[in-house]
Amino acid sequence: MDRLDRYASIIPDFEKFREAIARPLPPTVRINSLKTRRDGLLDRLDQGGVKFWPFGWYPFGLRLEVEKPGNLIESLMGHIHVQEEISMVPAVVLDPKPGETVLDLCAAPGSKTTQISQIMENMGVVVANDPSPQRIVSLRANCERMGALNVMVTKYDGRHFPKGSFDRVLVDAPCTGQGMARKDPSVLQRWSLKRSLGIQRLQASLLKRALYLTRPGGTIVYSTCTFAPEENEGVVSQVSGARLVNVEIPGLENRPGIEEWDGKVYGPEMERCARYYPHQNDTGGFFVSKFIRE
Amino acid sequence: MSQSSSGNKLSFKLLDGKVVTEMWRSRFGIPPEAFEGYYFYERGKNIWIFSSSKIPDLRCDSLGVRSISTKGKVWKPSTYALQIFGPYATKNWIDLDWEDAGKFIAGLSQSLEADLDDGYVVVRYGGEVLGCGLYTHGMLVSQLPKERRIAEGGIENLPLRCER
Repeated sequence: MDRLDRYASIIPDFEKFREAIARPLPPTVRINSLKTRRDGLLDRLDQGGVKFWPFGWYPFGLRLEVEKPGNLIESLMGHIHVQEEISMVPAVVLDPKPGETVLDLCAAPGSKTTQISQIMENMGVVVANDPSPQRIVSLRANCERMGALNVMVTKYDGRHFPKGSFDRVLVDAPCTGQGMARKDPSVLQRWSLKRSLGIQRLQASLLKRALYLTRPGGTIVYSTCTFAPEENEGVVSQVSGARLVNVEIPGLENRPGIEEWDGKVYGPEMERCARYYPHQNDTGGFFVSKFIRE
Repeated sequence: MSQSSSGNKLSFKLLDGKVVTEMWRSRFGIPPEAFEGYYFYERGKNIWIFSSSKIPDLRCDSLGVRSISTKGKVWKPSTYALQIFGPYATKNWIDLDWEDAGKFIAGLSQSLEADLDDGYVVVRYGGEVLGCGLYTHGMLVSQLPKERRIAEGGIENLPLRCER
């Protein structure tokens, strides 16, 4: 049993959702503008006989027709990074600027970190944090391969990240990962309400810490790759001292966050959050919210 | 903010940029301007390139990209630093054809006639940097990190670019 039926009342076209989640994901990559130019890269892929389709909503994202994009020579050179389409959304919503100081609180393995670094054109500082020594290895490796010269890696428990007055903070929180089912169907079997509620406490602590670490007027993005409202609106609604702003990306379909669930009222402002479902854009699933610190 | 991150077992020390850019200039002819806006730090036997002259006061695991190892008799550039700054090299670089590039990517050594000084060289394919090679006595030895190597024939789009 995959327990997705609990979402039948909140996910539109639920049958299409079910069909989409049973299909594997198309291979996608991000063009690394820190090391190559988009036009030149597209020419070289073309000459190499690799078929590709740029995303409509993001010029650095490509859908590819290859079995192992990681085995393209462009991967070895760090000119492309294998990354799921919908996971490119949080860094775009965070919208960092060159020269700023940014914290990626749950950074490993570094797909979003290196995307932030790229948006900042290797200027300013990105502090990429992760508590797990094992996951730090892949985080560091990805930062080096992508040529992220503005990234500093730290290894704190995010709930107790010591200090800072960051312009922007990304909390791409640990979650039950239901939105990853097209990549790894076993996530659905592992889900339980107990797991969602257990991880909710960690997520709320991380988000509260992120707010504390953001300067007034600064931006916080909280995201997960799960559908469970307990881990999304159920966390976002616990925040005070920051206001939610609209998340909307032209060219990418989404549904608004939900106002209530399972007897709990999260509030009308939740509609400013974005829920991305697999059948809307043929991607994985994601939840993205954005706050401005007061 | 402070210049060395406190609490590190080994802390990062900001280096005089002129000394390091001169190393790159003398070996590869890379102009110092290529490194403008970046700073060099030393920790242990490595030199790192980072985007800021100030490090946030945090316990720090790594900083930017490891660019040079000073462990050996001769300093060794990292593949990742060469992938960023190697395109500016005016000497000691070599473009391989697809067959030799495949060997290099597989981590193999190969004999090669080339107008290179003995030592570390920028290895390219189709004008793009693959990584660091060691050239001595007519042999080119791949220095690609082990985790980056791909067995011969494993690169999906390599042979299609044959221009011979």
